Amino acid sequence: MSLNTEALPKSQEVTASPEAAPQPWEPRIVGFACNWCTYAGADLAGLSRLQYPPSIRLIRVPCSGRVNPQFVIRAFQRGADGVLVAGCHPGDCHYSTGNYFTRRRFLLMQRLLEYMGMDPRRFQARWISGSEGPKFQQTVTQMTEDIKALGPNRKMRDVE
Amino acid sequence: MITEKIRAAAKELLEKGEVETVIGWERGTFWYNSTPVFISKPEQADRLVFDDFCANNLAKYLLDYRNADGKIAVFVKGCDARAITRLIQDNQVKREKVYLIGIPCTGMKEAPKTVSSQDVAGLPLLAKCQSCATPNPVIYDILLGDPVPQKEVGNRFAGVEALEAKGADEKYEHWGKLFSECIRCYACRNVCPACNCRECAFDANGLNWLGKQNNLQENQMFNMTRAMHVAGRCIECGECERVCPMGLPLMDINRKIIKDLNELFGSYDAGLNLEDRPPLGQYKLDDPEKFM
Ligand code: SF4
Ligand code: SF4
Ligand code: SF4
Ligand code: FES
Repeated sequence: MSLNTEALPKSQEVTASPEAAPQPWEPRIVGFACNWCTYAGADLAGLSRLQYPPSIRLIRVPCSGRVNPQFVIRAFQRGADGVLVAGCHPGDCHYSTGNYFTRRRFLLMQRLLEYMGMDPRRFQARWISGSEGPKFQQTVTQMTEDIKALGPNRKMRDVE
Repeated sequence: MITEKIRAAAKELLEKGEVETVIGWERGTFWYNSTPVFISKPEQADRLVFDDFCANNLAKYLLDYRNADGKIAVFVKGCDARAITRLIQDNQVKREKVYLIGIPCTGMKEAPKTVSSQDVAGLPLLAKCQSCATPNPVIYDILLGDPVPQKEVGNRFAGVEALEAKGADEKYEHWGKLFSECIRCYACRNVCPACNCRECAFDANGLNWLGKQNNLQENQMFNMTRAMHVAGRCIECGECERVCPMGLPLMDINRKIIKDLNELFGSYDAGLNLEDRPPLGQYKLDDPEKFM
């Protein structure tokens, strides 16, 4: 299929005005947060006015065990520079054991991503409880810093 | 002669009415391909053969007989038997609905490069047979012939280790090149005894898991997901790699996962033992805690 590019406006002509300064690059991190712990932890971080980089986009999931490996691949495809899966501490899962399966699944997947040529620092999992607002803050800050050092992710992406 | 024995066994089972269908191999169009055959009458037993080209794993065909009234007999080599264990563990096949005729296997041969000479002895073994760790069926009702000695297979993870040692960009390029060649024919999935979902994620296009585009990104999605889906259940039969028309080294991915599972959660080989549960379907309280 070929697009008639002639008919499309040249993007630069339309959008770039001479005075618009280039935005500094900020990583985009997709965070899957379990409803019962990490999402509440993120809420607490907000309520307590803890500062953290605006790089994370949280997606609430019922349990960290809900996160399918395909979610992670799709996030990278659609432009994520990093992916975080976060849930309750082992032993505290609302569904008793969901996060034990999460732990096995993503330990394995992180290694597979590395084998495929991804930097494993771009994929992390963390246990963050509802009372751990500061841990949420630190996790996001740390991950943002790590990914800033790595630069934008180009691997597996299908969007610019 | 093993072919004699399998014909006699099939004939007897069908005559006595113990099974309604026998799944085996017959002579294919060429002397170097023996293809699966499904027979239901005793007089058809003479079509059965067992030679150097019966590579097809027959276990997967049992899925087509899930609702059969009677029993189905199937011939199983070492790898096929592990596939049966896999299907029983996944509740796809009931043990009492299958009659397993085990055949100790000395390995299957590659198709010849030229078809003029019929020099079977000079043909190399299939890659999957060169590294086969279980030539003798692990599960069967009767065994035809004597168990064959287990050959020395060396370190089956050598290929994986070599890839692991490469740099990130080098790895990405390596896989990128290969995945861009994938034509998404899904042969690797269709043949796989661990891929027995009633509706595969890749066919469920309403869910939009996988675009129809044949580009690198979608192919990465397909290949990585397939690997994760069979993680802990892959029986290392090597069928996926054998059937791939583009020659993708899929065992390099499957074995990577097997190696990691063994390192992370203790030694496990899928399909050897009906009692063992697959590693991603269970957990231990003291699993490695790398994420914190
Ligand atoms: S068999 Fe090979 S070409 Fe076909 S979908 Fe699988 S990896 Fe791709
Ligand atoms: S992934 Fe390949 S080697 Fe593993 S069980 Fe499936 S077909 Fe066999
Ligand atoms: S690829 Fe995944 S969804 Fe498809 S059949 Fe295999 S295990 Fe099932
Ligand atoms: S509910 Fe939080 S990890 Fe399961």
